[in-house]
Amino acid sequence: MLASLNLEKKTQILDYCKERFDISKKIFDDYNWYLGSKNRIFIGPDKIERINPESIGICVFRLNKTPKPTTNFLQLFGNQIYKNVIELNKKQTTDYCNGLNLEPETDVKPGFVIVKYKKITLGCGHWNGNLLKNQIPKSRFCKINYL
Amino acid sequence: MGAFQTVKQNIIERYSNIVDNSPKFAKFVNEPLKQSFRVNTLKGEKEEVLEKLKTYDSKIEKVKWNDNAFVSNLTNLGSSIEHFTGQIYIQELTSMIPPLIVKDVIEENKIIDCCAAPGSKTTQIADMMQNRGHIIANDSRHTRIKSLRGNLDRLGVTNTTVSLRDFKSFPNTKAELYLVDAPCSSEGTIRKKNAVARKWKEKDYERFSKLQKGLLKKACQMAPKGSTIIYSTCTFSPDENEKIVSEILTEESIDLKRINLNGLKTGKGITEWNGQIYDKEVEKCMRIWPHQNDTDGFFVARMEKC
Repeated sequence: MLASLNLEKKTQILDYCKERFDISKKIFDDYNWYLGSKNRIFIGPDKIERINPESIGICVFRLNKTPKPTTNFLQLFGNQIYKNVIELNKKQTTDYCNGLNLEPETDVKPGFVIVKYKKITLGCGHWNGNLLKNQIPKSRFCKINYL
Repeated sequence: MGAFQTVKQNIIERYSNIVDNSPKFAKFVNEPLKQSFRVNTLKGEKEEVLEKLKTYDSKIEKVKWNDNAFVSNLTNLGSSIEHFTGQIYIQELTSMIPPLIVKDVIEENKIIDCCAAPGSKTTQIADMMQNRGHIIANDSRHTRIKSLRGNLDRLGVTNTTVSLRDFKSFPNTKAELYLVDAPCSSEGTIRKKNAVARKWKEKDYERFSKLQKGLLKKACQMAPKGSTIIYSTCTFSPDENEKIVSEILTEESIDLKRINLNGLKTGKGITEWNGQIYDKEVEKCMRIWPHQNDTDGFFVARMEKC
């Protein structure tokens, strides 16, 4: 069941987006916000009367102690994100898409990061200062043959 | 002769009377199909993505009747970074036809995709709409919803509501377009899927026919005046195609519209099969035989509620 997201939580997400990834609030202007099960946050079109949806739009965050961006969200808006990016080389990219954790050299501040290969956004990762923990959903892991 | 070959032979014989060129049909049914895909412009620039893909396969070709359809000699584009990031979607060429024939009604409207999983047409329409408007993507099976959801996520589709329901009990909902890409015996995919041959049964025609009519009837009853209804299948069987449309024409208040796609060779809907005569109007339906464009087999009808 999806409920409208309250203003307090929406503000928390928007502030996090700005602070962590320097994402402008404007990119969310056309969306409605929803809260689903397991604290999942969706952005999407209006709710339609009498239809009990399985989901609306796309899941963008999980809101536990801190907001956790989803790979789907970062892949969609990745071309507008330049802050807290970890860029991988070719070998690291195939490993990351295959679900591995990595130890890249970076001076990024610990926390959730956007992982890229050249201009391509691969998805979400969690950087603790030593290890880049893979946050790509298991169902998306893939052995990349063409890169 | 293996079971797969027997089913192919049965199909060739069954339709030899209605196909325009029986030897060519038989030849193409026995030839494998190349992998086809489209670029998802919600995630990437078409020319940029293509340029990259051509470094993997320099012989990628554009399809002449569809600006955003391409054919590759590679069979594993699913393991490319472009597929991983949702910049391409692997899709049969014929499956791209229904959204193309309703370009004129797609813009920023409300669309109901009655049997949406795994989401090929839903994601194609969302791309054409550039995530504007609203698509309601419904399917009746939970396992199929999972694959639909996965494709919507991978392709970055944000304008879609996913619903899990038997469409025959779907609440009446007004929309500008109803897409009924009905479950079918899938004979048209015989060039590709061994599974079709394994599962193929003569009695399936009747079972699917009943299901298809129920789905299309519900869409026609729900549709407001002036809205568009598309009915499509990937089977050659007239029992699942013209027969359904013909019966709906007599029972519901709808008009059939002629369909044309520049560069696509097509056949007319047939008006007689196994001693049954169908409404003459069904000639306006579009049949695509494998040998006409080197594709799968497909059937599509465009209707307007009046």
